[in-house]
Amino acid sequence: MARDWTRRDVLKMGKGALVAAGLLSLYPLTRYLGSREDAVASPIISFKGELKKGAPWQNIPQTRVWLRRVSGGYQAILATCTHLGCEVRYYPEQREWRCPCHGSVYDEDGRPIRGPAPLPLPRVAVQPAGNGSLRIDTSRKLN
Amino acid sequence: MSQKRGFLNHIRPHGVSEKAMSFGYTFCLGGVSFLAFIVLGLTGILLMFHYLPGAKSGYASVTTLASVIPFGGLIRNLHFWAGQVMVVSVSLHMVRVVRTKSYRPPKEWNWLVGMSLLVLTLVLDFTGYLLRGSQESGAAAAVAVHILTLLPGIGRPLAQMFLGEVSAANSSTLMVYVWHCVALPFLALWLQMFHFWKIRKDGGVRPL
Repeated sequence: MARDWTRRDVLKMGKGALVAAGLLSLYPLTRYLGSREDAVASPIISFKGELKKGAPWQNIPQTRVWLRRVSGGYQAILATCTHLGCEVRYYPEQREWRCPCHGSVYDEDGRPIRGPAPLPLPRVAVQPAGNGSLRIDTSRKLN
Repeated sequence: MSQKRGFLNHIRPHGVSEKAMSFGYTFCLGGVSFLAFIVLGLTGILLMFHYLPGAKSGYASVTTLASVIPFGGLIRNLHFWAGQVMVVSVSLHMVRVVRTKSYRPPKEWNWLVGMSLLVLTLVLDFTGYLLRGSQESGAAAAVAVHILTLLPGIGRPLAQMFLGEVSAANSSTLMVYVWHCVALPFLALWLQMFHFWKIRKDGGVRPL
């Protein structure tokens, strides 16, 4: 039998839907409010792979750390512009680091040569960790 | 019959003209703006639980909120998009009022209230942009300070009052935070209530 829908019925249904939506939002709300601030991410990054002597800086994917091998060991540099913190990239053909934000340019060794950057790109500690991998401590700045 | 008092009873009109009831007259743009404002208020309160103003913490806490906190991205995006919607709908609402000539007496005062609300909406949008703490925000803050200081005499104190020590490197100051999260929204809410009440008084449009 067809039901006669009155305005009151429809409004009641709307009220039920509101209550249901409210209850459903409790889960994301408690998850959102109950979450801890992110724990400090580890400053340690490890790299396993081949670095040729004399080859240009090589980026470790998903990080701002770039590595190269020089006579006597390895060097690690952070690709964070010293002007306002944009991520810079190394261009091996020009042997330069360039910042996409305000046009700072650094030479191969990370010294600022053009643009607003006031300081050289930070070098960080890197050492072999046995088992053929390198261990980079981005919290230990060398310059 | 008992006399009903209070704001909510005031806002109910005695009668509404048939013309005002038609959707094509208002396009519900004021209602859309108010809905966006409510969404902004609710999500804004939620964002305040995880947001930290400051040069070092502003941008970082937004990034954390959007990527690490469960449902943080959803809440941040709701806040962002509701803000975008509100700027658009408030502007269109103004265009509609001009089109239907609703700024004419006896509604001329409500037009001015609406203008204030438009300015408030834009300032809220702008301060929200500053609170993101990104490089663009820093640039925007620097521009705002420079424009404000062009005003002779009062410019610098105004900039100090509304923006605090903003610079290209830090736009998410405590000053901007309090204006954006507390002072301006409450002022906007109060003005909106007045706006709605005045619509009824002036022979208003659709009932809520």
